[in-house]
Amino acid sequence: MPAKEVLRSWKTWVSLAGLIFLLWIPFSGIGGGYLQTLGFLTFLYVILSTAWNILGGYTGQISFGHASFYGLGAYTTSILALRGVSALMTMPIAGAVASLYGLVWGYPCLRLRGQYFAIATIGVGEATRLLMLNMDDLIKNNDLLKGFLQEGVLTGGATGLMLPTPPDIHAYALGFYYGAMGLMFAALFISWWVKRSKFGLGLFAINMDIDAAETMGVNTVYYKNLALMLSAFMVGIGGSIYAQYIFYIDPQTVFGFPMSIAMVLMPTIGGIGTLAGPILGAVVYIVVQDRILTANLELGALKLSLSTLHLLIYGGLLVLIVLFEPKGLLGLQKRLAKWWEKRGIEGARAKRVS
Amino acid sequence: MAVMIEGLEVCKQFGGLAAVNRVSFQVHQGEIFGLIGPNGAGKTTLFRCITGVYPPTSGKIVFQGKDITKLMPHNTCVLGITNTHQVVKPFSDMTVLDNVRVGAFFGRGWARGEVKDATQEAKRVLEFTGLAPRANFLARNLTLPDRKRLELARALATRPELLLLDEVVAGLNPTETDMMIRHIRQLRDNGITIFMVEHVMRAVLGVSDRVMVLNFGEKIAEGTPKQVSTNPQVIEAYLGKSYAVTESAEG
Repeated sequence: MPAKEVLRSWKTWVSLAGLIFLLWIPFSGIGGGYLQTLGFLTFLYVILSTAWNILGGYTGQISFGHASFYGLGAYTTSILALRGVSALMTMPIAGAVASLYGLVWGYPCLRLRGQYFAIATIGVGEATRLLMLNMDDLIKNNDLLKGFLQEGVLTGGATGLMLPTPPDIHAYALGFYYGAMGLMFAALFISWWVKRSKFGLGLFAINMDIDAAETMGVNTVYYKNLALMLSAFMVGIGGSIYAQYIFYIDPQTVFGFPMSIAMVLMPTIGGIGTLAGPILGAVVYIVVQDRILTANLELGALKLSLSTLHLLIYGGLLVLIVLFEPKGLLGLQKRLAKWWEKRGIEGARAKRVS
Repeated sequence: MAVMIEGLEVCKQFGGLAAVNRVSFQVHQGEIFGLIGPNGAGKTTLFRCITGVYPPTSGKIVFQGKDITKLMPHNTCVLGITNTHQVVKPFSDMTVLDNVRVGAFFGRGWARGEVKDATQEAKRVLEFTGLAPRANFLARNLTLPDRKRLELARALATRPELLLLDEVVAGLNPTETDMMIRHIRQLRDNGITIFMVEHVMRAVLGVSDRVMVLNFGEKIAEGTPKQVSTNPQVIEAYLGKSYAVTESAEG
């Protein structure tokens, strides 16, 4: 697009205003830091959802095991940080560990197709969670491995790991707010770049028809694994940020199945396989989650806490989306735009006739 | 003439069923080699053995002096062998141009200036196959004849030396068939060796230099179209007696 058109388009101005708003949030004091935390979580989830979308949306390999990368990222950072490594420095390591783990289970699992791959990933995700839950017990009697324990603790079992909190928590949180925002833009840039590159074209071809892609010279095994590793790397970094921001991790949270489901849900809500879909999905997911977890429903004498129902609501939402608008909110928006346009044309025609 | 591809006693077993049984063949550089036979004769399976979708159970396949028996489809594609699919397999949510660009990008590859070269090649191929006006359509919105052309275009974009055509004229009307045959001849004139499976006799016998006939996985005849169409065994197994009568009346 020429520069003049860019300046004239409303989209440019809206996104610019949005960006300024996001940059201004920490200084606005709206909700006493509440909005800042919500913002941070949204950035984090946009990273996760964008990363999942590279494998699930572009390549069409639906993974229900991405929590394993998230957890590994979080644990790598925590374990190293507790042993004296600077937490920020552990981020690339966390990504690399998650990425390698992706190769380890991706190489066998990616041979499976469609729903069989999805089923296998559920198994991998749960197996990883259980492994991390019992890791300390597993290695404490092993002469070779028990050296990794620090005061009898590596992963901390069900109690999890606690990181020391920094002295100036506000400045720290502020730094993470902007840091996560930067990483989110980096993730979006990667997603955008993949989408328009040769790599992305190969991934889309695999998504549409893997046999035809193979016939046309796409090394499908290699590309699928590469997509998984890239996706795992980004999710691993997401996990690392989470651990550093929250200071406390345990297997049920970071390796839990709900985390995997969240990563499937967000791009699906927003629009799978698109660039903007995962952003939209993550925003909706975070806002809905935040509202639901604190909301109470009162029907006469019946009082329900919605927090117990939130997974049920997501399940219902997923069914509705898959049934009626498989392309998510972006698909819905396109459909509405088309309908609006058509109405306009018909309106004009009606006017002419009368 | 130089041998382009050679199969030596190629076998493919599915459990106890020998889909292809000790078939040997030679395709020469620059010829159009036809492969015919009744349904289930193993024609498509033989193609899949060549491209590497199903590695042969035993036997050997040599392409330009190189043993390709155990290679994967993407490897054989990079070497210069590609095929079209009997049941068309477009990338349905991609535009026609992008469909073809996949082949141009990944097939034989480009030394440099990849994006530009691949896109140019894709456009050239679309022009050749007459799909250029539909370049920005989604592949899912194409009619069957156009989808068949898209199969051909995608295969051509990989810049093959040996093109395996699996029933490219099936389902086309006579005019479209003639056009496809014209394309095939043109490709041969441009130096691409063609190995084609076809059920439409008018097409395959009219265009082929030599024809091989499979029945129940075994080779029962090979020769010029004329030799094959008058071979009593072939008439018995595949063509039918009435075909023999009309052929001799015409000829």
